[in-house]
Amino acid sequence: MKESTNKHLIIALLVGVAFHGTSIFFTLETTYDALIHLFFADHYANSWFEPWNYKWYTGFTVTSYPPLVHQSIGVLSLIGGLKFGLFTVALLSIVLFITGVYRFSLLISANRTVAGYAAILAVFSSSFVETLHIFGQLPSIIGISILMHALPEIYLWLKTGKYRYLFTSLSLIAVTVTSHHVTPIFGMVFFIFPLIGMVIMDVSREHVSSMKEITFKIFLRSFLRLLKRIVGFGVSSLVIIIGCILPYWINSKNNPITQVPIPHGSRDNFLEITSSGLVFFLIPWGLLLVLLPYLFYRYYSKRYLFFGLSFTILFILGTGGTTPIPRMVLGETAFNILTLDRFTLWASIMALPLFGEFVYRFSEGDLKQRIQGRFGSVYHRIIGGVLAGLFIFMTVFTMSLGYFRPSQPQKIKMLPIVNFLNQDDHDQWRFLTLGFGDQMAWLSAQTNALSVDGNYHSARRLPELTTRPIERLENSKYKGVAGIGSLQQFLTTPEKYNLKYIFSNDKFYDPVLYFCGWQRLRQLENGIMVWERLNVPPVPAILPKDEIPKWQKILWGTIPFLTVIIAFMLNIQMLWIRSLKTKIKATPAYLEFKNTYSSFSKNLLKVTHIWSVILGGIVCYGLYVFYLKNDTQRTPENAIIAYYDALDFKEFEKAYALVDPEKELSIAQYMLEISVTDGLLSSYAKLDNITTVITKNSDSLVTAKVSTDWITPLEKIHKEAYRTVVKRNGKWFLQHDDLDTDIPPDQLYASNTTKYFNQGRRRVTTEQTHHEDVLKQPVLEVLSAKLVQYNTHYAIIGEVQNLENVPADIVLKGTLYNDANKELATYNAKDHVKHKLMPKEVSSFRIDFEGIAWSKTKDSIPKAFNPDEFTPVEFEEQPTKFNLQVAGNVAGSDLYKDASLSAIQIDSDKITGTVFNGGVEEITIPQLLVTYYDEEKTLLWVDHLFIKEGIRQQRQQVFEYPMLKEASITVVNDSMEYIFVNGLPNEGISNKIVPDRIQNHTATELQKIVHPNYEYIKIEMNSYIGNPN
Amino acid sequence: MKYKKIHILICIGILISTVTIGQHKNQGDRITLVTTQTEFEVGSTVLLQFSSSDTELPLLYCSNSYGSTVITPVLEDLGLYYEIPEFITNKKGIVHWKLIGHESTLGMFTMHPQERVTSMETYIGPPTIEAGAIDYTMLVVIPTDALDNPMPENTSVMVNHRFLETQKRDEVVTNKIIAYKNITSETKSGRLFISSECLETNSKEYTVDVLPAIPTDFTISVDRPHEYADGNQITSLYTSILRDQYGNEVSDGTFVTFFITNKEGNILKTSGTTVQGIATATMIHPDQEEAWSIKAYVQGMAESNRMTIAYQQVIKDVEIAFAKANREIKVGPLKSFMNQMIPDGFHVVLEIYKGDTLLNTETKTSKGGYVSFMLKEEMYISGTYTIKIKTAGIEKSFKNIKL
Repeated sequence: MKESTNKHLIIALLVGVAFHGTSIFFTLETTYDALIHLFFADHYANSWFEPWNYKWYTGFTVTSYPPLVHQSIGVLSLIGGLKFGLFTVALLSIVLFITGVYRFSLLISANRTVAGYAAILAVFSSSFVETLHIFGQLPSIIGISILMHALPEIYLWLKTGKYRYLFTSLSLIAVTVTSHHVTPIFGMVFFIFPLIGMVIMDVSREHVSSMKEITFKIFLRSFLRLLKRIVGFGVSSLVIIIGCILPYWINSKNNPITQVPIPHGSRDNFLEITSSGLVFFLIPWGLLLVLLPYLFYRYYSKRYLFFGLSFTILFILGTGGTTPIPRMVLGETAFNILTLDRFTLWASIMALPLFGEFVYRFSEGDLKQRIQGRFGSVYHRIIGGVLAGLFIFMTVFTMSLGYFRPSQPQKIKMLPIVNFLNQDDHDQWRFLTLGFGDQMAWLSAQTNALSVDGNYHSARRLPELTTRPIERLENSKYKGVAGIGSLQQFLTTPEKYNLKYIFSNDKFYDPVLYFCGWQRLRQLENGIMVWERLNVPPVPAILPKDEIPKWQKILWGTIPFLTVIIAFMLNIQMLWIRSLKTKIKATPAYLEFKNTYSSFSKNLLKVTHIWSVILGGIVCYGLYVFYLKNDTQRTPENAIIAYYDALDFKEFEKAYALVDPEKELSIAQYMLEISVTDGLLSSYAKLDNITTVITKNSDSLVTAKVSTDWITPLEKIHKEAYRTVVKRNGKWFLQHDDLDTDIPPDQLYASNTTKYFNQGRRRVTTEQTHHEDVLKQPVLEVLSAKLVQYNTHYAIIGEVQNLENVPADIVLKGTLYNDANKELATYNAKDHVKHKLMPKEVSSFRIDFEGIAWSKTKDSIPKAFNPDEFTPVEFEEQPTKFNLQVAGNVAGSDLYKDASLSAIQIDSDKITGTVFNGGVEEITIPQLLVTYYDEEKTLLWVDHLFIKEGIRQQRQQVFEYPMLKEASITVVNDSMEYIFVNGLPNEGISNKIVPDRIQNHTATELQKIVHPNYEYIKIEMNSYIGNPN
Repeated sequence: MKYKKIHILICIGILISTVTIGQHKNQGDRITLVTTQTEFEVGSTVLLQFSSSDTELPLLYCSNSYGSTVITPVLEDLGLYYEIPEFITNKKGIVHWKLIGHESTLGMFTMHPQERVTSMETYIGPPTIEAGAIDYTMLVVIPTDALDNPMPENTSVMVNHRFLETQKRDEVVTNKIIAYKNITSETKSGRLFISSECLETNSKEYTVDVLPAIPTDFTISVDRPHEYADGNQITSLYTSILRDQYGNEVSDGTFVTFFITNKEGNILKTSGTTVQGIATATMIHPDQEEAWSIKAYVQGMAESNRMTIAYQQVIKDVEIAFAKANREIKVGPLKSFMNQMIPDGFHVVLEIYKGDTLLNTETKTSKGGYVSFMLKEEMYISGTYTIKIKTAGIEKSFKNIKL
């Protein structure tokens, strides 16, 4: 019999390539992973045999991820660039997946039509669409596709015992493992074990006349007969899995993942966090949810029994934290390391053959007859339409997810950044991106400059990163205290990492950058703001790396492609025969076990119907709850939450729609009022939590106490407000609050300030900076400095003055020693200092010694978010001495000094007052530095306060500063011996420039307070200007 | 390195072979130097001539501070000629030579730099110094010839510098390659122009800024639109021109802090930076009668006189009206010094007490001279309260207000 071409498969391939092949150009680059693979590919394209990559995380090894896909993209990039490589490999993966599903389905069903249907369904399967177009997990797709190609070969080896099949199956396993390491390991368990079970069943079946007659005894006998082949295959594939990516395993053993687990949506409780439920459960399952009874029924038939077990386990593991079972099955460690979405993906792929079978039976088989016989042909058609509609809807919905809920920020043009890094030796320092999403990988692929951050969290090495549950510094704002805390450490001590430039695509981080001593350089033409930190040394010419033996490098560079070549040679002959039908070939053994689709189980149909009704009910209920939650004006709580949400997302029109219309406030007036409020709270805060307590008065008017928690880059803010909500025509509206009516006296006014510009004297040349270009470092003087112990917490406090005639940017670095002169800790001043000082200006400072938060993973990470959270370093020994290194550099920006203290009221526990802005810029975030003195007017402690609201020009802002609580405070050391300014002893500078300094000059101008520890305070002002004119 | 090793090995090999060969032939023959010149200028060709009676061609080993080499001779009628390679003749210094195989034939000659300066390597720093005849900047000059050889010791270098109207020319000599001069500032601030000259070659222009020294005491003055405490107008505070002890205006941007002690003894604070020596700071008028005592500082260096200014009360009395069953409290009209309505934004504080406990404080700003507070039923249930209104330093208390 001459075999005819399988039209279904051809259709599946054509439609699949056309559909996915065109859409990947619009989706792939915005997926989570694709650009990371691109970055790895760029690494291989540039240094094939050197696995060490300096670009991320102060260096990491690419042997931490199987190389085949990356190397393939790398090779193809030599022809047409990296993106060409990426898309070509993606196209290949589509073809491999569709054909893989076909072969797997043929193996399971032994029916070409069913397999053809399965291949077509695979094209539109929502889990595949999601994995490719939303997650961009190319290696995972290729891995599972090749594994599916391997399954028939494994079957044939076990069944026939022909060595040819052993070699073909092993060659395919080898390709799988070099593409993706997790796939073959779990594939062994979830695909190959049930397959072995099926082979044994089939062998047993040959000894009896029907499936029903297979008893455990027969099964065991067949198993023992096949044992040799099974063990042979098992051992050799284990050797292959270990051998092919040996450097990977060696690296995993040497650098075990000792990181704090990073939260992943697939581990959530899907009922609680519905967005995770949607992405990791509803979408991948899609229409298959309706067919669950059928899938379980079929997979629990005797022949597929083991697939049934495997399918069930995969299904349960895929439910993440919804049930406690996955955590129990996998154990705590594995549960926290693995992303559980892959189990759902595999389960949905495992379901595809049966899905194909169902569709076959539904459209032309016994199910059709059964339904038509019982309910009539119209019903059959309607059901068919509904199912097809649902299926396509899920596909389109999944596709559109990336469009409506983009997982990435808007596409950033990288060229200006690449050019910036190439200019003026900017790539001699490390950089950091903020708010780039996964596009940071694409930037890294395009530049030679190094980043402290990275996008492959398993390869992180710095303890500052591995001890925190964050993937990247880049998106730290979504990671709560751990994220911002980690970022702040990098921002405070950037010289440790040679970090000089930050590319910010998110205004949110601006305040923390400013208060950590960074300055804006300029905005690039793509809208990215460049921040710079002075006094950071360039990256050394020779960087440390973990050397691996040459044989490993050669193995890593050659094996993956060799596996492909060998697999190709071994399989090509059969592929050729199979696809081109050049000669009649013996039917593969698995085609002998055909199913008869004669009579669709009545009960199964009934159960499916009942299940569908239940499912429909759940969906309707879910939609109803969704509606209740989202109907903004149904209840006063909804109105308040919607209003605050709208403000949080800056959707002012939506917020305006919730304001009481009877007040006749125009939208123009409303927007104007919004636009004149700036500050930490209104411009840089993200709503974290909101609770409303309603005190009901009447049916149409209630007052609510609204407690809101806001996350800002600097600290967490808690606010309580009373809002009145009124009911008009059955809808609830918020009453608008009155605005500050202050009108400043001047209509137009002038202010003279000195501006600075450092242009150097550089000729237009690429030579290294000439010594004439180098500005003299401003001379600073440390007026006082001491090491104090405040409760259990050590800090260096003091005052520093800029003696120079130009403004200075100051960096203060303190080091603590014990009596034996052993260095205990070193850290920089963070936000307890004015980083920019005008000539002769003085600033108080405090250097905290911050440890790496939760460095003991046992320390529980607090659930609540507080970016201002402070983890004091733990000292093993008592610090007794300190060394203070102060460095000045000429500063030309952020020199706004026009804030003044216009009123003050001292109470026993708090200080209230107003700050007046007399200048021409709007102060976005005013900061007060409060210095505490004892009765002798010597410095004891430095504290600060960020005022939540901004101050517009010529206006005042009220502040309330809670005074420090009583504490034990001791001065450990106040010797000024080891203080150095720009590397020179402080004392010498002092004697030279201000030999006749008036000591304690402004001591008479200290503010008296009533406090058990302190007698006086001094208040200094520092201002962050968000939008300089 | 590898190259060198091979070189050395070859040299040693040659040495051994020549020594062994030489010992045979070398009995009576003596090779002597014919060239008498021992001083050469760098860059010139150095050819050493030796007398020879034999056809023997011994190698010449020569070395200077940069390295060593072995030279093969050319045999001509008059004897053996050795041409010293450029890498040796381009550098100034002593060159030692020795004939291999004729260990007693050795000598040396000296390379002198060219008499022409082609480049003046110059360093100057710091680029800014302080006025006052103490601080100085240092000029370092290394005159070199075309082949980058430094000039001989004690070569004269002229240093020119001009400051304001005076121009000076000093002679310094090179000492161990470099010539240097410390240029001390004068009491005036300004720009110092510096250049140097050596053997008729001139350097480019260098500049060093002499900046003013630390400021000395100064006076302050005040300017305000009126003397009333209306909480709205802005008082400007000025310093006199800040100068250092030599009379130089201090650099622009010098930070001056003004401390204001108010009637209650609390310290307010404002600051300004100097432009042309004068620092300007602003402060909003208080909203009640005040007497401010102001003193300005450049911390640790200079201070001003203390001056006092007074602000007169504008709001003499506050009218308070209750309406809507005491739930609306209207404050006003708030009138300013000519009985005009006070400018918008004047603060009025409402305090509500139940018995002696403070329930709430509300601060509102005036509009059109009035402020009205609404006591919401939902917040203050019916009962008796004590209400205090505070504005412009006036406090009015209403006890037993029934809501």
